[in-house]
Amino acid sequence: MKKIAVLGWELPPIFTGGLGIHTLNLYQRLAKFYDIDLYLPYFERVHINYPFNLKFIDFRGKFSYSYESSRDFYDIVRAYNEALVEKFDMNNVGLIHAHDWITFIAASRIKQKYHIPLVITFHSTEYDRSGNFYPQKRIIEIEQIGIDSADTIITVSNYTKCILLKNYKCAKDNIVTIYNGVELELFYVTNKDYNLKNQIIYFGRLTPQKGPKFFIEAAIKVLNQNEKVKFILAGRGEEMDKLKSIATEYLNKNIFFEGFVSLKRAKELYAKSDAFVLPAVSEPFGITVLEAMVAGTPIIASKNTGVAEALKNILISDFWDTDLIAEYIISLLKYKALRKQLGEQGKFEAMKFNWDRTALNTLEVYKRYL
Amino acid sequence: MKKIIFFFEVHQPRRIRPYRRYEIGKAHEYFWHDKNKEILSRIISKSYIPMTKFLIENNFPCSISISGILLEQLIELNSPILDLFKDYFKSGLGELVGETYYHSLASIWDDEEFSNQIKFQEETLIKIFGIKPVTFRNTELIYSDHISEVVKKLGYKNILAEGTDEVISKYNPNYKYTSVSNLNLFLRNYRLSDDISFRFSNTTWNEYPLFADKYAKWIHLTPGEVINLFMDYETFGEHQWKETGIFEFMKHLPKELRKYGIELSTINSFAESSGSKGQISIQKIISWADTERDLSAWLGNDLQKEAFEFMRSLKGNKNMHVWRSLQTSDHFYYMSTKHFSDQEVHEYFNPYKSPYLAFIYYTNILEDFQRTYC
Repeated sequence: MKKIAVLGWELPPIFTGGLGIHTLNLYQRLAKFYDIDLYLPYFERVHINYPFNLKFIDFRGKFSYSYESSRDFYDIVRAYNEALVEKFDMNNVGLIHAHDWITFIAASRIKQKYHIPLVITFHSTEYDRSGNFYPQKRIIEIEQIGIDSADTIITVSNYTKCILLKNYKCAKDNIVTIYNGVELELFYVTNKDYNLKNQIIYFGRLTPQKGPKFFIEAAIKVLNQNEKVKFILAGRGEEMDKLKSIATEYLNKNIFFEGFVSLKRAKELYAKSDAFVLPAVSEPFGITVLEAMVAGTPIIASKNTGVAEALKNILISDFWDTDLIAEYIISLLKYKALRKQLGEQGKFEAMKFNWDRTALNTLEVYKRYL
Repeated sequence: MKKIIFFFEVHQPRRIRPYRRYEIGKAHEYFWHDKNKEILSRIISKSYIPMTKFLIENNFPCSISISGILLEQLIELNSPILDLFKDYFKSGLGELVGETYYHSLASIWDDEEFSNQIKFQEETLIKIFGIKPVTFRNTELIYSDHISEVVKKLGYKNILAEGTDEVISKYNPNYKYTSVSNLNLFLRNYRLSDDISFRFSNTTWNEYPLFADKYAKWIHLTPGEVINLFMDYETFGEHQWKETGIFEFMKHLPKELRKYGIELSTINSFAESSGSKGQISIQKIISWADTERDLSAWLGNDLQKEAFEFMRSLKGNKNMHVWRSLQTSDHFYYMSTKHFSDQEVHEYFNPYKSPYLAFIYYTNILEDFQRTYC
C-alpha cells in the first residue's frame, strides 16, 4: 500500500494555532488506514508515541526561528521548503498532503519532480492573517503556486472557499470544504449553571485578524452602562500594549489581560463566563468557538468566522458593529433564559463537530488518488 | 347521513420589528409594518382572494374564524378581501366563528383577560359583519375543560378541539360530543385534515397525487357521522400553491362526496341537527400544534417562558391594545428551539430566522413598554 507524505509545520505540544491541533487530530485517526510520513521542522521537544512516522527537517544551520517573530519568517519558510525538497523520501509515496503556504513551495516542487498527486489544505489565507491590511504579495504568490499545483484543495469553511474564489485564480470544482472538529473530552462541561457571572471572555491571539480591539470597544460600551461586568482577554500577541491603551480607565478594573492560559484555566474561564465573544475580522474556522460551546458558553461571533456559517445556536454580528455586540452582551447579562438556551442548545450543536467526521471526509478525498 | 365540516383559521400576526436596545426609551413603534404588509399582501393575493372567490362561486359551505389582529390589518391595507368575506357571509353559506381578538394564549393564564379578548372580538365581528358568533375556536385549538367553562359563560354553544391521539384512543372523533361545560364539542380529524393541509403536494407520500374521488372514498369508508376538517386558510394557495391543483381538488370534492350521499356542513348547522355521542372530559391542555399537540410550541423552552412571564408581569398598563397585540401566540412561536421535523415548520414561519433574535427583539420591546406605559 502506498504511503501518504504530509508536509506540516507544527504539532502539539509545540504549536500556536489551529494548524497544530488539526495535524495531530487528523493524522492520529488517518494513521489507522494509511502509512503516514509527517514532515516537520526540527523540534527539540516532542512526544514519542505518535502513530505516524515523524520526519524532522533540520535547517537550524542557517536560521533560528520562532513563529511569532515575523521579520525573518519568510526566509525561514523558504529555507524549510528547500530542505524539505532535498530530504524528501519519495519511496512508495502515493499522495502528498500539504498544509498552508508554509509548505506549498516544497509541495509544488516535489509534485513536479515525482509526479505524485497533491492535496493542499488552507487553514487560513494571507488575506485572513493580515486582517485585510497589507497582505504580503510574495505570500499570496506562494499560495497561488499551491493552488496551481494541487489536484484537490481543502478549505476549513465555505467562508475560506469564497476568499479563494474571490482573490485567487482557482476552479470552484477543485475545492472541498471540510470542517474542523472539537476535542469534546477536553472542554465538555456537564451541567453548567447559568446564574449570572458578570464575566465576558475573549480567547485568542491578540492580533488584528481576531478582532480583540472590537471586543474592547464593545466592553467599554457595556461598562458605560454597567460597571459590574468583568471582561477578560485570554491570549498573547503583538497587539497587547496597543489594546491596553484602548482599555483606558477600565484596565485592571473591569478589563483584564490574562496572557497565555493553560487548558485548565481556559476551561475554567469558559465555565465561569456569561458569554464568549469572537469579533474576528477574518477567521477561517474558529475552533475556540466550538470549545466554548461544548463547555456550554453562549457565543457572539462575527460574520467573518468560518464556523459560524454552520451554526444556528449563536449570536452573529459584523465584527465592526460594536454597538450590536454590546447590545447582545447586555441582553445575555440580563436574561438567564437567553444564556441557558444558547448555552445548552449550542453545546448540543457543537458536539456534532468531531474529528472523526473531519478524518472521514479527508479520507474521502484521499480515496480519489489511492 | 354523514357530513363533513370544513373549518378554516384565518390569522396573521402583527410581527414585531427588529427592535434594538438603543431604541429603548426613545422609539415606541414596535410593529414591523413593511414586513407585515409584504407578507400579508402576498397571502391575500395568493390565498385569501382566490379561496374566498372559490367559496362564493361554488356555494361552498364552511366555518371560518378571522382574528381581530388580522382584521385590523386588512382594514389598514384597504384590501378588497374584506368585501369578499362580507359577501360570503351575507350569502348565508358560511358560519363566522369566534376566538380571542389577539389570537393570544390568554386562555391559559387569566380567565378575565381571556374573556375580555373574546368579547372584543365579538364586538369587532358584529361591527364589521353584523354577526355574533355561536361557535368558539381558541388560538390554535388550545382546549381544556376549564377553557370550555369560561367560553360557555360567554354564551357560546359550540367549541372546537384537537382529536389528539390520547383523545381518539377513547373516542371516535367523527361524532358530535358534549364538553363538561355542556357545549357541543367537535374534535378535529387530524389525519384527514393533514392529508389536505400538509401532505397534499408531497410527492414522496405514497398516496400522492390525491384526487377528490379517492379522498371522498376515504371519507365514505371512515366510520362516524361528521368528519371535522380543520386547517389554516392559507393552506389554499399559500402552503399548497395553486399549481398543486388544490383548488381543483376542492372544486371536485362536493360532487364526489355526493356520490356517497355525503354533504358539506357548518359547525352550527350540524350541531343543531344532530345528537351528542356523549360527554368528554379533557383536563390537561391540548392544542393542534407540533407533534406534541400541547403548549410546547409556545412555552416549550426557557426563552419562551421568560418572555411570557415578562409580558404577563406588565398587566395593568396604560396601553392595553399594544400590550395585547404583544400577546399574539406567534411572538412566542418564533422563539421555539425544537429539533427535528417541527423545527422546519417553525423556521419556515420565523421572520427573524433565529429564536434568539425573536427573544431579544421581544424583550427589548417589553423593556420599552414597561418604561413607557407601566
